[in-house]
Amino acid sequence: MQKIVFVTGKGGVGKSIYAAALAQKYSLKGKRTLLVELGDESFFKTFFGLPQVQYTPSKTLNDFEVALWSGSEALKEYALHLLKSEAVYRLFFENKVSRALIQIAPGLPELAILGKITSGPRHHGPSSPHEVIVVDAFATGHFMALMRAPKGMAQAISFGPMGEQSRSIMKTVEDATVCEYHIVTLAEELPIKETIELYDQLKTEFNISADIILNKKLNTQLQSSELNSGNNEFVKYVKETLAREEDARTRLKERNLNPSEVPFIYDKTSYELIEQIAAGIKL
Amino acid sequence: MKSTQVVVCIGCGGVGKTTVSASLGYMLADQGYKTLVLTIDPAKRLATTLGIEGTKEITEVPGVQLKGKLFASVIDHQTVFNDFIKRASGAGADITPIFRNKLYQQMSTNLSGSQEFTALEKLYSTYESGEYDWIVLDTPPSKHAIDFLNAPQKLSALFNDSVAKWFRNTDGKGGLFSQIISTGTRQVIQILESLTGSEFVKELRLFFSYIHSWQDKLENRIVQVHKLLVSSNTQFFLISSLDEVKMTEALSLGQEVRKQGFPLNKIIINKSQFEKTFDFNIGLGNVQTPEALKELEQFKGSFEHYITHREELLHKFENSVANRMDLVSLKEYLDPISDTDNLKLIAFDLSQKIKL
Repeated sequence: MQKIVFVTGKGGVGKSIYAAALAQKYSLKGKRTLLVELGDESFFKTFFGLPQVQYTPSKTLNDFEVALWSGSEALKEYALHLLKSEAVYRLFFENKVSRALIQIAPGLPELAILGKITSGPRHHGPSSPHEVIVVDAFATGHFMALMRAPKGMAQAISFGPMGEQSRSIMKTVEDATVCEYHIVTLAEELPIKETIELYDQLKTEFNISADIILNKKLNTQLQSSELNSGNNEFVKYVKETLAREEDARTRLKERNLNPSEVPFIYDKTSYELIEQIAAGIKL
Repeated sequence: MKSTQVVVCIGCGGVGKTTVSASLGYMLADQGYKTLVLTIDPAKRLATTLGIEGTKEITEVPGVQLKGKLFASVIDHQTVFNDFIKRASGAGADITPIFRNKLYQQMSTNLSGSQEFTALEKLYSTYESGEYDWIVLDTPPSKHAIDFLNAPQKLSALFNDSVAKWFRNTDGKGGLFSQIISTGTRQVIQILESLTGSEFVKELRLFFSYIHSWQDKLENRIVQVHKLLVSSNTQFFLISSLDEVKMTEALSLGQEVRKQGFPLNKIIINKSQFEKTFDFNIGLGNVQTPEALKELEQFKGSFEHYITHREELLHKFENSVANRMDLVSLKEYLDPISDTDNLKLIAFDLSQKIKL
């Protein structure tokens, strides 16, 4: 059975790089893995220096493949699947009116993206050759909009193929045997707060238990209590940063959340970086 | 009378755009100006600091002692959009059905382009009021900041008369002419119904039957806002974090923004300097155990390396924007809680580096 891992978190916490490292980890385990980014512009194209990243998966220098899924392309694929004719598709989609329509339809692009991501387990459309799909998903707020899209659509349209699709997508994203959710955070007050809020929302609205990833942990075994800051600004910095990390752990623990920790690594080529982070991930 | 000056802060999510916007407002107010900060979705802590938690009204920021006055507001998309529609529909128009329409509800808050439109609408109406010396606008989070500037046009395309007419003429009650032109249209509606079901198409018709009453005004507004944005009263600041990929993206974004005629001349690299200067040649102080000291020494080595790496990154970037844009490197404060003291610190840092 195909496994789908959604990676989300507050903007700027490093979720894309974590997602890539996770994809690397799975492919090292011998799983055929696809790393998917969402939206219209590719981050991994720049990050890995690839000629291009498109809707159709392509190879990276790592073992996993990478693809960029936008709402409009996912919608096109879905519509073609339903309409079964390129000519009818063109008549309907390739005019100003329909493009405007697609924009105002409630969460239609989001729904199409989720539909595409879950098409394997739902046996909908062409079968996917990948055993694992790691989705570098939207940041917190937009991610919830993505998750809510099927419910919204199912409410707006109860009947017809779209209503059915929406319910099937909803069931799949809530299925813990298929989908995993990783919330990436930093040991800082605001990301931790947002992480706990997102965790609660996923739990309440979808009965999903997300995993928490504490990213960019100082790469040392030291504890703040082992250091006396004195007047050395560097030692003070390390002590305070460690104290902040300890505080973040405590705050998560209060909610019975046990984060996996990923060390802060820098000044490496993209590939070395991904490999090093992947080495620290436990599956 | 001197007219209102505007700063628009653009940049992708997670770079501290809202905090920098608020701090810019603080700085300007402290220089004696009556300043308004328009924010989109501030974190609770920042909203509390600005005194705008739980209210959508323009509020004077509490607990600050400034030469001028500082006001803040969270943009409430639904209210701004509804108000706009009310005004655009004219007095006496019955707008209850459209406010109840599911597509309208979705559109006014969630549609790509609508948050950007309401942000700019709020900016324009406060600008027009002439109440403020400066307005700082924080922009909606988007993966790519260029979306912000293109969004209103996208929204405008949706309200294009040909699109709206197309739907109004398919309710079967149109005249002979509309029946002739809608033959192809009906085919498309049938496809749409087969994809979505008839409820959706019903909602859609209602939606478009209302649009025509305000599309002119909406397009007018978009033109007015555009004029303001490219005028000499406005400047754009691009906010980025110290990250190679993000800065590369920022650079190409900056070029695109300028190409479209928007006055962008500053790139702010947030949190790109440490607050304190580290001296790695002095002793590490009395560390609890010899093992800990050894570990700290090892860590010191890699940390020194890290600092050099950051400096090189910033320097490289500075060279690549030289002569085109000012690069402003801001300090990183260790405990990034958004209280008044924090805003004050960032505002002070900004005031050392930016003269407005």
